Amino acid sequence: MQKWTIRLLIISFSVFLSSCKTYNVEGKKLEKGSSKTILNPYFSNENEDYVYKTQIEVYNNNLSGIFVAKKMNDTIHRVVFTTDFGNKLLDFEISETGFKVNYVVEGLDRKLILNTLEKDFKLLLKQSFKINEVFENNEYYIYKCNDEKRFNYVYKSKSDDKFVKIIQASKSKEKLTLKFDSYEGKIAENILILHHNIKLKITLNKLEN
Amino acid sequence: MQMKQISSIVFLFFTTLFFAQETKMTTAEITKFKSAVEKEAKTIKSIKTDFIQYKHLDFLSKDIETSGKMTFKSPNLLNWQYTSPYQYSIVFKNNKVYINDQGKKSTVDGKMFEKINKLIVGSVSGNMFDDKEFTISYFKTKEFYITKLVPKTSTIKKYIKEVELYFPINDSTVSQVKLIEPSNDYTKIVFKNKVINAKVDDSAFNN
Repeated sequence: MQKWTIRLLIISFSVFLSSCKTYNVEGKKLEKGSSKTILNPYFSNENEDYVYKTQIEVYNNNLSGIFVAKKMNDTIHRVVFTTDFGNKLLDFEISETGFKVNYVVEGLDRKLILNTLEKDFKLLLKQSFKINEVFENNEYYIYKCNDEKRFNYVYKSKSDDKFVKIIQASKSKEKLTLKFDSYEGKIAENILILHHNIKLKITLNKLEN
Repeated sequence: MQMKQISSIVFLFFTTLFFAQETKMTTAEITKFKSAVEKEAKTIKSIKTDFIQYKHLDFLSKDIETSGKMTFKSPNLLNWQYTSPYQYSIVFKNNKVYINDQGKKSTVDGKMFEKINKLIVGSVSGNMFDDKEFTISYFKTKEFYITKLVPKTSTIKKYIKEVELYFPINDSTVSQVKLIEPSNDYTKIVFKNKVINAKVDDSAFNN
């Protein structure tokens, strides 16, 4: 009996410890309290149709289709997801503060799904980040930007100044990672959206259109 | 007459000409057309065709273009294969759906695809005169007979406002399909190099 109590204590204590762990960036701090902003170059051109082949892996289910994003004006992006046949599954209008559902196919019309996609796409399409702290390591400059209860860590490569990654974290751990591959730094050819607390992975590969 | 007036008259003339091209078919024409399509559909054992798919979204500056090959073997084997700009194929076989997404394979056991299958096969062969499912109207132009199908059931209505099938005047099978969504965005599929009743092995439907 006593053995179990001790075990339980150890377990709950270690759980307590790990939940207290704070999320740390791998890098040294450079400056504090900057008023500068950092711009996301992707999805920023109003003349461009951003069209991607998409794979969504969610709890071992695969969904395939075409993802389309277009910057409509200074604040709004239109986002559409269709099947490979062209049937529309989702149609959103997204801004930093707004989220309008123009269309959602019956099976996907669930609050949990829509909320998740709203958060993902808002971060993906966010055009500017207000910098709170700056870090650096051998490869990257890392900009810590406060986002309500969370923090966005924007990674820019030192060698070619490309916008390569955003990690969204709570105080204690990573929640969401967005990775961008880009040849020229203006259009992301490959994008990965990876969740850490649910089994959800979205990959986007640019189609030549 | 002022230049502006002349140009608007010219414009009006051409648009009238253009729109006047599409006229309603007469009852006699409809009967003849329907029996020709139904007769042709009965003889179809297989269809092989290339296709180009244009996805039109109103807010985009250009349609999204994908293309590939389609193979159908009577009564219910269908391989719909995209080859450009990416590889993706979907095979309908024994009430199952086999998907090969750039090498990644999966199987869907779904009733959901049954309707799609029926729609595709029906669209290609043109045999879609199902009065229970659709309200059908008939038109003709210089080049085409056009049937416009408006779904009757609310389940289909949610996805599709209208299906338009284009039959070239001298051909009883479809050369172009337009699926119009409730938002008026649409998918247009154009068939090219169509071969009817060529020999097709069942192995063409391994995915």
